[in-house]
Amino acid sequence: MTVLVVLLALVVALLAVLVVGLLRSHAEILRRLHELGAGIYDDEDGTTVTSPASTTGGVRSPVELRTRPGVPEPRSAEGLVATDAHDIAGMTPTGSATMAGVVGTGHTTLLAFLSSGCGTCADFWRAFGDGEGTRLPGRDTRLVIVTKGTEAESSSAVALLAPAGVTTIMSTEAYDEYSVPANPYFILVDGPTGRVLGEGAAASWSQVSTLLGQAAADAGLALDGSPLTRSAPAGRMSGPERAARADDDLLAAGIGPGHPSLYPDHLVGGDDAALPQTDPVPGSPADQGRAS
Amino acid sequence: MANLNAFGIGVAPPAGWDAQIYSRSADPRIMTPLGVREIVPPIAHIANFALPPVRGDFGGGAVELMESGAVFIALLEHDASEAGTALFMGKTTPWPLNPDDFDPNNLQRGIGGQAGCQRFFLVNGRPFCLYVVIGSHRLRHVLVPEVNAALAAVTFD
Repeated sequence: MTVLVVLLALVVALLAVLVVGLLRSHAEILRRLHELGAGIYDDEDGTTVTSPASTTGGVRSPVELRTRPGVPEPRSAEGLVATDAHDIAGMTPTGSATMAGVVGTGHTTLLAFLSSGCGTCADFWRAFGDGEGTRLPGRDTRLVIVTKGTEAESSSAVALLAPAGVTTIMSTEAYDEYSVPANPYFILVDGPTGRVLGEGAAASWSQVSTLLGQAAADAGLALDGSPLTRSAPAGRMSGPERAARADDDLLAAGIGPGHPSLYPDHLVGGDDAALPQTDPVPGSPADQGRAS
Repeated sequence: MANLNAFGIGVAPPAGWDAQIYSRSADPRIMTPLGVREIVPPIAHIANFALPPVRGDFGGGAVELMESGAVFIALLEHDASEAGTALFMGKTTPWPLNPDDFDPNNLQRGIGGQAGCQRFFLVNGRPFCLYVVIGSHRLRHVLVPEVNAALAAVTFD
């Protein structure tokens, strides 16, 4: 009998400890929920509703939200861009001083802030290089690739990656002026208004294309799929098109690369043809044979 | 208004304009009429439209993209040895230009509607060629003031 009473006392004591533990755990959960703003008792006296969201009874205190590692965070809680557009000035990868107009132009500009060493950027370099990224909704959209300046980037590495037909500018100042948080980052600017239509980062070109297309549509721009590189007006051939036509005509005539007739030993008109002209025009013999 | 400075040339085009100052590599296949390899002194391009990255010294590849309101300016330095030639001697910076300086026949390559103007001059002993194309000859009285505004901001060391 004594043994039975002792065992029963032990069981009761054990259950008491268990109940106390459960109560403490419950109290801790309530405390944490309260810290997060769940406030299950706040709907009672004295509660002030400060925003529509708080009427849902959800989280009310500020909660720190973070994007995935490698993806820049938005700069504005309201979802509005926080940057004024600027023209871009810097150096080309080949060392030329260059400037691209962004504000006050008649077209939309997509600024692609990339780095030569960023793994995520590789997809974008490839997309711009092989033509996948050559069409985008917008108003005659022009693509300008921006990297940091030579103090932070290798100009030779950028030169290897930069697509031949796309304006590429190395400018740390542009990163500062646009407050670019990380690479890759994209900003779509409406030239006529100088307004930043949208900005953000993504992991692939298809995501950027979709997001910026939405931004352009929200801004009322036609989703016409304009090519990123401008083409000559209808009926007018661009320089590369004229070069291709000339190459085709020469090939049809049997004159290909390296043909001796392309490297004459003497002038067709004789030495007199080399006499200076009194009023030369570009491309004329007196104009030193500059490229047109 | 941003400034570009390189090779002793400074440009500060109006907002929204494109500009570039460069010196491309000499093409070993190109011979001058005098039978020597070409020399490629500095070149400045200024335009109120998006300049394509690949274009010729006189705007080939760019002027084809010009619409009626477009303006293209090329400043091409010549070799210093030419400073004493009749082409440059005694000629100072030619701007401001007059609308009537522009003529469709002054274009390197005739493109319907466009007009061009070319001037040679010396500045600080450096010989330069100025070549300007406007997108519309009819609009020359509107476009040439824009050209002059851009040229007024060009400086030379």
